[in-house]
Amino acid sequence: MIEALELTTVLVTLLQQGGQTVEAAPAIPTGAAAALAVGLAALGAGYAERGIGAAAVGAIAENDEMFGRGLILTVLPETLVILALVVVFV
Amino acid sequence: MIDTEKTSGPGNYEYVIARVRSRRASLFDDDDYRKLTRMGPGEIARFMEESEYESEMNALGARHSGVDLIEYALNRNVAKHFEDLLRWSEGELYGYIARYLRKFDVWNVKTIVRGKYSGESRENVETDLIRAGEFDEGLLDELLAAGSIQGVIERLDSTRYGDALAAAYEEYEETDVLVPIENALDRAFYEDLLTGLPTEPSRPMELYVEFLSAEVDFRNLRNAFRIARSGADMEAAEYYIEGGDLFTPAEIRQLAGDMDRLVEHVRQSRYGEELRDGLDALEEAGSLLEFERAVDAALLEYSRRLSSRYPLSICPVLAYVLAKEREVDNIRAIARGREGGLSQEEIENELVIL
Repeated sequence: MIEALELTTVLVTLLQQGGQTVEAAPAIPTGAAAALAVGLAALGAGYAERGIGAAAVGAIAENDEMFGRGLILTVLPETLVILALVVVFV
Repeated sequence: MIDTEKTSGPGNYEYVIARVRSRRASLFDDDDYRKLTRMGPGEIARFMEESEYESEMNALGARHSGVDLIEYALNRNVAKHFEDLLRWSEGELYGYIARYLRKFDVWNVKTIVRGKYSGESRENVETDLIRAGEFDEGLLDELLAAGSIQGVIERLDSTRYGDALAAAYEEYEETDVLVPIENALDRAFYEDLLTGLPTEPSRPMELYVEFLSAEVDFRNLRNAFRIARSGADMEAAEYYIEGGDLFTPAEIRQLAGDMDRLVEHVRQSRYGEELRDGLDALEEAGSLLEFERAVDAALLEYSRRLSSRYPLSICPVLAYVLAKEREVDNIRAIARGREGGLSQEEIENELVIL
C-alpha cells in the first residue's frame, strides 16, 4: 500500500514538473497512464482476492457445496480490473 | 508440546474463521436438544452416530457402550476439533489459540489429580482426558503413571504450573481437600493467559484481552456468588483471578459477604444488561444454580456478540471453543440425566441453550 502511495506522489510531482516545463505534452504518455491505471487496479483486486480466497477455501474445505459460491465471491473484485480496462479505450 | 511462537506474521484469520464459522453452524440447535431430551441413552448414541460425532462413535463403539461411550466420544471429538484449530492457524493467531487451549491441560491435570484422590484405575482416568492442550502424550502418560498426588505435582514441577501447585500442595496436605490445588491451577491458567503477551500493543491483542477479561470476570463473579451464597467463612480474595475488570481484590473482599450489595454491584456493571434475568431469578428464588446457568448463557451471548462485531479477529475462534464446550456439557448432562432417570423438565433446566 505504502509503495503505491509513494509511487503516486512521485507521479504527481512528475506531472507538476512536467506541466511547468513542457506546457503542451503530458509527463506520461496517455498509453502509459492507462497501463498504470490497469496495473494499479489489478494490484488492488489481487489484495482483495487474497482474503476472500483464503476464506473461500476454508469454507469449501468444510462444505463442498460452497465451491460455486466461493468461486463467485473470490472473483468479484476482478470487476475492478475490468472497469479499469475501460480507461484504455477512452 | 505446543510452541506458542510458531511463525511470525499476524496470522491467517480469513481461512480459520471461515472454517470455524462453518463448524459452529453445525453445532446442535434447540430442536436437536429438544429431541435429545426425549431420548434414552441408546437413542442418544444412535442420534450421535448420525451426526458430527459419527467417526468417534464408530471408533469407540466396539469397546464401550451406553453413556460411557457417549462421554468418550464427546471427549475425543472435542480434542479433534481443537487440534484442528491449531493445525489451521498460523502466526500470532496460532499463539493466541494455543494459549487458550492450555485450558485442557488444566482440565487434564485436575482429572488426573481427582482420579488419584478417589483411587480410580488408570484406564478410567485416561478415557476422561481431553488431549487438546500443550502437554504431550509422554508427559500425560507420566502423570497417569504417577503413584500419588504428590507424584503428579512433582512431575509438573518444571511446567508453568509448578510453583502454584507446590504451594497449593502444602495446603492440601493440611486440609485434605482438593480445592486449593484446583484453584491454583485455574489461577495459574488465567493469569498466564493475560500476562506475557507481546509488548507491542495491537488491535488483535486488544480484542483477545477484551474477550478473556470477560471470561475472567464471569469466573470471579461465579466464585463471589458461591462464597456469598454458602455463607462460608472463606477469604474471597484467595479465589480471585487477576485480569478482569469487574472487581478489584478489595471490592471482592468487601462484597463477598453481602449478597444484596454484590447483586447491586453486578447490576451497575457493563454486564448488568445481559445478566438481568439471571439476577432477577437469583433475587426472587434465591436459586444459585439458575443464576450460574444465566452466567454461562450470558458469557456465550457476549462472546457471540463480540464475534459478530469483530468478524476478523480471535473472537469468533474463542467463541466457537466456548460454544463447543457448552454443547459437550449439554449432551453429557442429557445422557447422564436420562441414565439417572431425571424427567425431561429437570434435564432441560440443566442445559444452557441460547
